[in-house]
Amino acid sequence: MLAFIIRRVLQSALVLLIVGLTAFSMFRFIGDPIDNMLGQERTAMDIERLREQLGLDQSFPVQYYRFLQEAVQGNFGVSYRQGRPVAEILLERAPATLELAAVSGILAIAFGIAFGVFTAIRRNGFTANFIMSASLIGVSLPTFLIGILLIYIFSVELGWLPSFGRGEVVQIGNWSTGLLTSSGLKALILPSITLGLYQMTLIMRLVRSEMLEVLRQDYIRFARARGLRDRAIHFRHALKNTMVPVITVIGLQLGAIIAFAIITETVFQWPGVGLLFINAVQFVDIPVMAAYLMLISVMFVAINLIVDILYFFIDPRLRVDRAGGH
Amino acid sequence: MLRNFSFAALFAVLAPVTQATEFTWSSTTDPQTMDPHAVNSAPVLGFLNNVYEGLVRRGPDMAIEPALATSWEAIGEGAGWRFNLRRDVTFHDGAEFTAQDVLFSYERAASDAADTSSWFAPVSEVILVDDFTVDFMTTAPNPIFPDSIANWMIMDSDWAVANDATRPDKERGNHATLHANGTGAFAITSREPGLRTVLEPHAGWWGAATHNITRAEFTPIQNPATAIAALLSGEVDFINPVPVQDVARLQQDANIRVIQGIEARVIMLGFPHEAEALKYSAETPDANPFTDPRVRRAVAHAINVPAILQTTMRGNAEAVNQLVSPAMRGYSDALAGQPPYDPDAARALLAEAGYPDGFSFGFKCPNDRYLNDEAVCQAITAMLSQVGMRATLDAMPVQTYWPELRADNYDMYLLGWSPGTFDAEHPIRFLAATPNAEKRLGSWNFGGYSNARVDELLPMIQSEIDEPARQAMLDEVAQILQRDTAYVPLYVQPLVWGTRAHIDLVQRPDNFFILRWVSLN
Repeated sequence: MLAFIIRRVLQSALVLLIVGLTAFSMFRFIGDPIDNMLGQERTAMDIERLREQLGLDQSFPVQYYRFLQEAVQGNFGVSYRQGRPVAEILLERAPATLELAAVSGILAIAFGIAFGVFTAIRRNGFTANFIMSASLIGVSLPTFLIGILLIYIFSVELGWLPSFGRGEVVQIGNWSTGLLTSSGLKALILPSITLGLYQMTLIMRLVRSEMLEVLRQDYIRFARARGLRDRAIHFRHALKNTMVPVITVIGLQLGAIIAFAIITETVFQWPGVGLLFINAVQFVDIPVMAAYLMLISVMFVAINLIVDILYFFIDPRLRVDRAGGH
Repeated sequence: MLRNFSFAALFAVLAPVTQATEFTWSSTTDPQTMDPHAVNSAPVLGFLNNVYEGLVRRGPDMAIEPALATSWEAIGEGAGWRFNLRRDVTFHDGAEFTAQDVLFSYERAASDAADTSSWFAPVSEVILVDDFTVDFMTTAPNPIFPDSIANWMIMDSDWAVANDATRPDKERGNHATLHANGTGAFAITSREPGLRTVLEPHAGWWGAATHNITRAEFTPIQNPATAIAALLSGEVDFINPVPVQDVARLQQDANIRVIQGIEARVIMLGFPHEAEALKYSAETPDANPFTDPRVRRAVAHAINVPAILQTTMRGNAEAVNQLVSPAMRGYSDALAGQPPYDPDAARALLAEAGYPDGFSFGFKCPNDRYLNDEAVCQAITAMLSQVGMRATLDAMPVQTYWPELRADNYDMYLLGWSPGTFDAEHPIRFLAATPNAEKRLGSWNFGGYSNARVDELLPMIQSEIDEPARQAMLDEVAQILQRDTAYVPLYVQPLVWGTRAHIDLVQRPDNFFILRWVSLN
């Protein structure tokens, strides 16, 4: 058991190193931050001086090594664009993304399971078929388009909801929350629908197919034969067994929600880490890009690790050589 | 908004007096710093013009007018300039403005750590005559010195020292990166980088306020569609810019006004004047046709600028025949128009130059720097191919574009230039002078264009006090550049702003948004 965990942690560390290496080798193709940092009247000497100051004149392995050296000590450097420590900026921006992801996730899970069960039970009903067809929209339309459509309907035409930003936020220590003000809650609605729609349809279709599978099982038939009510059969017997694979997928989708937040945040000018990352790419703000990518990969690796360890506990038959392949 | 609604309604019923007028505006980029000397870029300087002030400032028509200096005069046969400072001016924190602050701000803005040091290259010494008189001594007579420092902003020396921000710090930032203390009409009350910046009127401002804003909030919105939606829904009162393709849609809305003008920025094509050979040519690998002025002129004849303006710019831009727009000081009225659109003349010139079948080459272009830049480049590519110049267009984001140009990886490129001094001397210094790092000349002259007469005229222009004599020299340079087709100037980039109909504001050609010219009706 311990050996398994140690091995997985070492594997995770290797993954992080490779992500960092890949990221750093990509930064060189994104462009040059110098022109963004210096004004129109700069000279060739200014360019050289700044390049030296930022260490951009060093070779790529040296730059990467320096970044690792600092990152291990928890220091991600200073943003080129804002001239502030990256860690400070990330902490400032994280609550917005996490709140958005949490609300989207809860919406996606609640509606996904409800619709999934409904469409499974009423397989041939008109409403169920309508939901199934409508769910294709959620799968096929790009996030960007969904966001813009929602803005045009609810902000421009109806004027009900804000088209951008977070509304008023309340500071609680280091955490800024939009959940305590009416404008903050209103501002959450459109972005969380935009971000959660795809996940909701995914969960819904998964729940539906699992449920249909379970409802065909013998024990359900026997339950019906015993004269149990539909409600007891559907919600006590069937749903419980449906949820095992669904929970796994939900766990893995958690990371996807935070990663997908980039597009939603750009459309709604949502001040989270995703928007920060997009701005960093446009400015070639290497310290911010590196920190963000590392953060996201740490998150994915951690989720995978936890899922693996949980599997290990749930299923003692699992061998190490079969772990990790999902 | 909604929470305050009932309260506001009650308030309006009880006391129909002056209402709080809040103003919200948005632009695509957030100014990266609040330090007026750290970054010499339009978004930063434009924003901070509402917060800090210089000795002089520009009016709605770009004319120089008094600000922290009430008057100024040239002293001692072109030895320098004397500025008489305004008395009873207070900074936002209540500190008094004196000549000491001017000297401090000069040392700060002219230091190596600043991005604005080039403005002070002609200055040899700054002398405090008394508390309200300052002399700027120049190494040579400098007629446009007062014009060239309109964006140099004065900071309180005590505030900077107390907050450990005596020098700008681009790399690590300091107190002045997030806080501001100027003498301007508005003070920053809250600054959240990338989110919102709140300004409120400075009660102790020396000027007579003509605006009626009680609170102004700036939010960057980078997605154009979202910004348009926010304007249509009334969440923001003003956006800049409006994408050209959305102008017609906004004009149909009675609640919206679209304000259009021409910017200071001229869009042009540049050439490799020094390269031995083309970099991206299939059949002319060992020659560089663009060294021949006839070939460059052929490019000018081959491009149908009016057609580009009609289609790509939807009629919102103006053609131009030189490196500055008509709104700039020193614009050459005497200069003939651009070579007209004439594909036959272009083919004849190419044949004359020894390329009867044309040639292929690589055309580099940015895709996120100027209005519709990539679309304009596509149109140019198509037009050039009509006369046998087969360009391979390579469009890229600006952060990879400049390094490519610096590395000479182009056969032709697109460039936009907005003169920081709003004077015709500026592009000559940066784009036409022979590159010389020591003298800070030609730093954007990627192609290495070089003309002895232009190099000779430039220092004379820089130090000629007599206006007509100076204009004559500027005219001569404009003629040389046109005769050589050093660049092919295409058009002046349009300015398109969008605002709610009940708001009056002034659009200045430098694309600066000045809050004190806003009034809400």
